[in-house]
Amino acid sequence: MITRALELFTRRGWTPFAFQIETWQSFLNGVDVLVHAPTGLGKTEAAFLGPAMQALASSSTSKGLRILWITPLRALARDLARHLETTVRELGLSWRVEVRCSDTPERVKRRQRASLPEVLITTPESLSLILSWPDGEALLASCRSVVVDEWHELLGTKRGVQVELALARLRTISPGVRTIGLSASLGDPLRALDVLVPDEDACKRLVRGDVTRRIEIETLIPNEMGRLPWAGHLGLASLPRVIEVLEPVATSLVFTNTRFQAEMWFRRILEARPDWAGVLALHHGSMDRELRAGVENLLADGALKVVVCTSSFDLGVDFPAVEQVVQVGSPKGLARFVQRAGRSGHRPGATSRIVCVPTHAIELAEFAAARTALACGDMEPRIALEKPLDVLVQHLVTLAIGAGLEPAPAFEEVRRTHAFQDLAPEEFDWALDFAGRGGSTLSAYPQFARLAAQDGRFVASSRRAASIHRLNIGTITADGAVEVRFAKGARLGEVEEAFAARCRPGDAIRFAGRDLEVVAVQGMTLFVKRKKAPRSGAETPRWMGGKMPLSSHLGAALRREISRPRHEWSATPELEALRPILDLQARRSRLPGPSEVLVELAKVREDRLACVFPFEGRAVHEGIAALVSWRLARRAAATISTTVTDYGFGLVGREVFPDDPATWRDLCSPRDLDLDLGSLLAGTDLARRQFRSIARVAGLIVQGFPGHKRRVRDLQTSSSLIHDVFMRYDPTNPLLEQARREVLDRQFEITRLRAALERMESSAWHVVATDRLTPFSFPVWAESIRGEVTTEAWEDRVKRMARAIDRPARAAKRSVP
Amino acid sequence: MRVDIAGRELRLLPERALWCLDSATVFVADPHFGKDAHFRSAGVAVPAGTTHADLQRIERVVESTGARRLVFLGDFLHDVGSRSDETFGALRSWRRRNASLEIVLVAGNHDARAGSPPQELDIEVVNEPHFEAPFAWLHHPREVPDAHALAGHVHPGVRLASSRGRRMSVPIFLVTKRLTILPSFGGFTGLGIVEPRPGDRVFLCGEHAVVEWTSPAR
Repeated sequence: MITRALELFTRRGWTPFAFQIETWQSFLNGVDVLVHAPTGLGKTEAAFLGPAMQALASSSTSKGLRILWITPLRALARDLARHLETTVRELGLSWRVEVRCSDTPERVKRRQRASLPEVLITTPESLSLILSWPDGEALLASCRSVVVDEWHELLGTKRGVQVELALARLRTISPGVRTIGLSASLGDPLRALDVLVPDEDACKRLVRGDVTRRIEIETLIPNEMGRLPWAGHLGLASLPRVIEVLEPVATSLVFTNTRFQAEMWFRRILEARPDWAGVLALHHGSMDRELRAGVENLLADGALKVVVCTSSFDLGVDFPAVEQVVQVGSPKGLARFVQRAGRSGHRPGATSRIVCVPTHAIELAEFAAARTALACGDMEPRIALEKPLDVLVQHLVTLAIGAGLEPAPAFEEVRRTHAFQDLAPEEFDWALDFAGRGGSTLSAYPQFARLAAQDGRFVASSRRAASIHRLNIGTITADGAVEVRFAKGARLGEVEEAFAARCRPGDAIRFAGRDLEVVAVQGMTLFVKRKKAPRSGAETPRWMGGKMPLSSHLGAALRREISRPRHEWSATPELEALRPILDLQARRSRLPGPSEVLVELAKVREDRLACVFPFEGRAVHEGIAALVSWRLARRAAATISTTVTDYGFGLVGREVFPDDPATWRDLCSPRDLDLDLGSLLAGTDLARRQFRSIARVAGLIVQGFPGHKRRVRDLQTSSSLIHDVFMRYDPTNPLLEQARREVLDRQFEITRLRAALERMESSAWHVVATDRLTPFSFPVWAESIRGEVTTEAWEDRVKRMARAIDRPARAAKRSVP
Repeated sequence: MRVDIAGRELRLLPERALWCLDSATVFVADPHFGKDAHFRSAGVAVPAGTTHADLQRIERVVESTGARRLVFLGDFLHDVGSRSDETFGALRSWRRRNASLEIVLVAGNHDARAGSPPQELDIEVVNEPHFEAPFAWLHHPREVPDAHALAGHVHPGVRLASSRGRRMSVPIFLVTKRLTILPSFGGFTGLGIVEPRPGDRVFLCGEHAVVEWTSPAR
């Protein structure tokens, strides 16, 4: 039966991999599969040809949706559609292949509302949107197979849970629908399969594309170590060396960790090599889709020499032209590192080459640690989310305003997902109550009705309620995005509202790799024009949420790396280069051994600084720092600020910190962890910050969109305000509890936090008072304040802050409607 | 917090109200009553309680000052969805408890959309600017000739930052030579961050106290 696929491969001059044949056969035998293989090996063919051959073999010529292809990446949907169209033509199928996402043209959207194409490529959000149409389920009913692309990217996120819920719905609407998941670089693929296909009785299997790819890791070690800073994240000191590396290679990708960093690197490379204008490009997630598509097309044609990019290029279709990958700064995790390395040399059998550029000294050890860990086959697992009630609330509203919702079968269906398998009936009832009437305590929500009951089914209470919900489907929280466009039309991309609010006409800004002058700021649009000569003082926008934490696996590898015995350093070029810095650390303070925790105490100007170095990544450090500062502030009224890096955390205050190891061990003890974290969350604004995304997903914040802004203006509010209102007037609302849980799970990674504290408790503690900052403590000091725990009264605090201020935080005049 | 403006003794109250002894008047800006109800009517689940709590807070201010008159500097109701039985019910019973109080509303931009307060609340609606020497009552802040303007609308606030970048947003009274802008009164209203100019006086409004912000750099 798979002859058609083999014929197609022969015509194209390809040879199928064993995993592709295994996938086709499994699919045709009625088995759900998760294909786990590196990028660029033909997972698309593996997934698509099974359902296609099934259709060719059947005599049915019925129209309508057959294959639903879910991808997290809207940007790559078009390329995928083109690719699948070619395959469909070559197979002689008369199928329509179409994309449905937020930027599909209105004309196509209207046609799709009448009838869906045979092959529909869509995002999790657009799939939910289809479910919210009154006839959406009828249109989806003919679907025979669903492909979930880049499953590793969705797994462990709220978007992933959104997909889980949609799949459960799809399996009800269209019994017998087969699932094919595609995934790369996962630590625990069997578990990923179980999340995708949770039914224990289902025929399912994991297909591994065990085609090993060699990765060559090279680190750019600075000629003079003295030029490599102790802290920082831009890495521009290595620019000349990077240019040398880029020069001889036809096409390279330069990965940075933030969009701001990408903008800076693009500019500096161009300044250094003006002759590369035209073959040097920039690509990041806040640039306009058309601009990005332009870059992607040029790259596909092999017309570019260097593309500076961010995680916007981590996923998706491959570019055979890419011969080399440069990673600026920490790779943050092993899976991501492999993914990025795999962007080069993905012809089967070829070697991937990744050149690592340190942005500060200790990162050298990080690269060495990554190499050692990968050699051992180490990789992070993705932990699936459990019971995010905000996503459930949104899903229930979606179903109700779509075909209508019957509570009993809906409960059973929701429990068939991995995320909600343990959902209690009370929890479901609460979610449904909240979705419909705003909570079980009717008195708290008078006259609120999003849903209405009609013959035992829940449906939308009004057209406005339904249309507001449709506007807000999705789980991605974007900061109010302001569009950047030329006064005469073309869109350049988006910056954050906070940045746009500071812009005045005449200001010079640098965005999307261009020198621009602000012409006007109108509503949600920033109008710009080109600026002739670049001048200093131009501002480059920064985006929030840029910094990923170091993964637990890479953190542990780094601890092992820096505690390797001195005589082993010379065998690793990175450690050998670090020798002077590690020696200085040992001289001024101490190099912690594998089972030691180091605390450094220092006095910097007015402030006292205490640094602790668990090497557990910034997420865990943020949790420990909050815990320790809270435990300290409980002893005596004080305000303690915290800073975190991936290697350690710092406490900054006016009072003297304890200097005996026993007290520090006690402060970091896992004893009473839950109790202390509970009280600490109640007293800080951590949960308040986390509430933002929950409020958005549960429909408490109505997001405006460019063009739609006016319609919802009267409903704009901030999440912190909503949070405060809930705290006061509905304090037992489960969404508040979810916010607290999410801070613990997601922000502090409570499981890792507890493990880290337990490890630290059984470690030897060393407290060293230093008269100067050390290579370890300097980055912690240089980091800006992340959190603050205070037991001072408001007035004292304000008076102290007012004294400490040189000027008010940069702010803008704006009017509140 | 006592301040003397235009030769009158005024008190800036932490309840986010301004008290003028001479005219026995309490000024309040931007209560946005029924904002929660408007959200609920549009399908956004916000718990009730803010309107009720705001009315209690006004009552407390009126009682403690012994005010004879209450002036709302605009945005009395939030929007059409605020015109619910529940919001009006709360307002009516509050009015009954404070029957002798004279109440004036300077119409603001939200009032134009939301409509006037119901008749039985016995609120006199005036347009801006409304002069009562030495003050002019407004909703939208601007300087007017021959009077010190009292206004609202912008929900003024400042962002305090410590030398190490820690931030905190606080509602303020902003007092310039010819204009005083009140913080928004409503418990379900946000802040508009303003940048005070040299010479402006800024009063930080906390839960229990008003503190003048006198940073050396300002």
